[in-house]
Amino acid sequence: MKKYIFSKTARMLLLNIVLAIVALSMVLPFTWMILASLKTLAEVGEDSWLPRVFQWGNYVEVFNIRGIMFGRWYWNSIFVAAWVTFLQVFTSSLASFSFSRLQWKGRDQVFLMYLGTMMLPGLVMMIPNYQNMIKFGLIDSYPGLILPAAFSAFGTFLMRQFMMNIPASLDEAAEIDGASKWQLYWDIILPLSRPAIVTLTIFTFMGNCNTMFWPLVLMKSKDKFTLPIGILAFDSSQGQQTNLLMAAAAMSVIPMILVFIFMQKHLVKGIMLGGVKG
Amino acid sequence: MNRKEIREIATGLGFLLPNILGFLAFTAVPLVISLVMAFTDWNLEMHNMFKDNTVQFIWFDNFIKLFADPDFIRYLSNTLFMMMGIPFGIAGSLFAAMLLNNDFKGGSKRIWGICLASVVLIISISALMLAGMHATATMMLITAVLGVILLIGCAGGQTVYRTLFYFPHFTAGVSTYILWKKLYSPENGPINNALRKVLDSVSPFLAQMSDTTAHAIANIMLIVAIALIGYSFWRKIKHWLDGDCGSFSLAISLAILSIALILTSCWSRLTVPALAVLAVAFICTLVVLIRGRKYRCVLDYGLSDAVIISGTILVFSLILAGLSNVIWDLPAQATAGLTPPKWHADYNWAKPALMLMGFWGAIGSNNTLLYLAGLSGVSQELYEAADIDGASPWQRFWSITWPQLSNITFFILIMAVIGGLQGGFEMAKAMTNGGPAGATTTLSYYIYIEGFSTGRLGYASAVSWTLFAMVFLVTLFNWKFGNRYTNE
Repeated sequence: MKKYIFSKTARMLLLNIVLAIVALSMVLPFTWMILASLKTLAEVGEDSWLPRVFQWGNYVEVFNIRGIMFGRWYWNSIFVAAWVTFLQVFTSSLASFSFSRLQWKGRDQVFLMYLGTMMLPGLVMMIPNYQNMIKFGLIDSYPGLILPAAFSAFGTFLMRQFMMNIPASLDEAAEIDGASKWQLYWDIILPLSRPAIVTLTIFTFMGNCNTMFWPLVLMKSKDKFTLPIGILAFDSSQGQQTNLLMAAAAMSVIPMILVFIFMQKHLVKGIMLGGVKG
Repeated sequence: MNRKEIREIATGLGFLLPNILGFLAFTAVPLVISLVMAFTDWNLEMHNMFKDNTVQFIWFDNFIKLFADPDFIRYLSNTLFMMMGIPFGIAGSLFAAMLLNNDFKGGSKRIWGICLASVVLIISISALMLAGMHATATMMLITAVLGVILLIGCAGGQTVYRTLFYFPHFTAGVSTYILWKKLYSPENGPINNALRKVLDSVSPFLAQMSDTTAHAIANIMLIVAIALIGYSFWRKIKHWLDGDCGSFSLAISLAILSIALILTSCWSRLTVPALAVLAVAFICTLVVLIRGRKYRCVLDYGLSDAVIISGTILVFSLILAGLSNVIWDLPAQATAGLTPPKWHADYNWAKPALMLMGFWGAIGSNNTLLYLAGLSGVSQELYEAADIDGASPWQRFWSITWPQLSNITFFILIMAVIGGLQGGFEMAKAMTNGGPAGATTTLSYYIYIEGFSTGRLGYASAVSWTLFAMVFLVTLFNWKFGNRYTNE
């Protein structure tokens, strides 16, 4: 057995303290954000982080500033992200079913090509995509926002990794019972891959709530903004109102933190599935 | 091909159909259009509904213009400069993963931790009450937060810390960037408020420091930086001789280290010694190369080690050089009164400020989770064998953990480089608008400006295809060398 300079308890304590200090540096900015959002505007620049009186009213006021349609933006973000998530999970599960459970000539070559598209920098496609959107009159519209995000190679990859692990004997049993491929997909494989669906749902939803580039170039009218570009607009027009801005930021960040805390297990699994190459 | 095969292909493609349609509409076709656009002079200022000029093919003129364009060169170097933070970030996430990977189930430690945390908590809360709502209350508050984290951490172990570490990465987006913009705020942001206090209390002591002491300290820092670089040179050559590192990795490592040395010497006053070290290192390398080595290995063996370590040394030596520059005339400045930096509003500080923020987000990212998985996969027998041989923790790390993780490091590195080449847009848009004076404009932000603000579509496409080419190079690199690692 190895001899340590310190006793085990002391080592553990030290370790915990180091970890707690690192964790503190992760949490402090958020702490400041929440405290600043509860101050009056005059107090924000002060040395003290604590508000004299907690201004809970700031959170209500964010919804009532002229030109800042915070509630609307929030709803838009959820609406768009829900559609994107639904479409993406659906198309990805179809494609991954084809890549993992069906045998057809050239399947693996097509899959490799698919993986290759994950490496393409999205920026290259943005300018032509935008010009196409102008041509089809989809500028400043929700379909224009949703459709390009509805197909993802990453989602297909993630789901495929999961579906590969479902035993092949199920397929054979279904075939003997005379099930069609669609029935195999809809009744057997899809219900069994629920964990992967949950993971992909969280990933896509959260990711889409945070996207900025495409909404930024596509959306023109203020009432159709999503939350990220809404907050950008807030910052550029009324950025001096730090307390209200921080309240808005807090309201957009805290739900994400909560989702993360409660859905952590699924997320970690997803990162492992998608990150470790298989 | 018989009937059955055709039917199988039809079924397979049928399930793929929605995805293929989407792929064609939003990836393949735009990709081709963008390539064509890169060869045209499409400019919305010339080609719009009022001026009916036809778009003309100018073939490679865009690309020729690009490489002569001082803006492009500058933004490219901005992007590369920001990417210097990558090895540092990876090292940070490895460090976090190693901390998290410890055994938390020690018997009495939990009780100890809880006791300590509650004491901290009680003291700080009572002090908070006593002090009232004053500035000192902030310190108490921070201590209280620390106490709470310690308390939950002792109770929950790894999961709690992992969750907390992951916050910045998970919430990264406009909101956090705006938050950091406020944190960095030069006049009354919390960071500068705190710094100003520290500087005010320190500056009287610094003002008393004699010039010779300051110069001595500054020189020592530079010497440490150069010694670090020299040591890394030596370490890499030794690895190469021992067959732990391929020739290609050696070349990359030496190249990065030479860049580190040259940059450090350019940026400081110690040009001659640095160049001397470089010369000696190269002569040694040449001698070693000519004499050959005993053990041979494949060309790219130890590549991730080469890039990460040399990159970290590069950043570290630059930080040391910068600090030494500051310390050189610190007494004079302290007499005049020290002021905290203006962070994102200052030309020289903007990039480091964004990199610091990136580092904050990088410590607990997906990389940490990947490293955690990797660490749990390292065979315990190796460590036991090392213990029997009496290896120190330092040796255990360098001869077991680090080599065992090399495939994960390689994967993380490739992903980070690909991401870094395309990165920087969101930060720049939310925090600095690419300023001050273009200091934080990266290639992605440049494409955005050219493609969506000034409307030079052809030129913007040329920029984006240049970016694409760079990403593709890295990907090729990954295909060439990465497969070996993942198959191991």
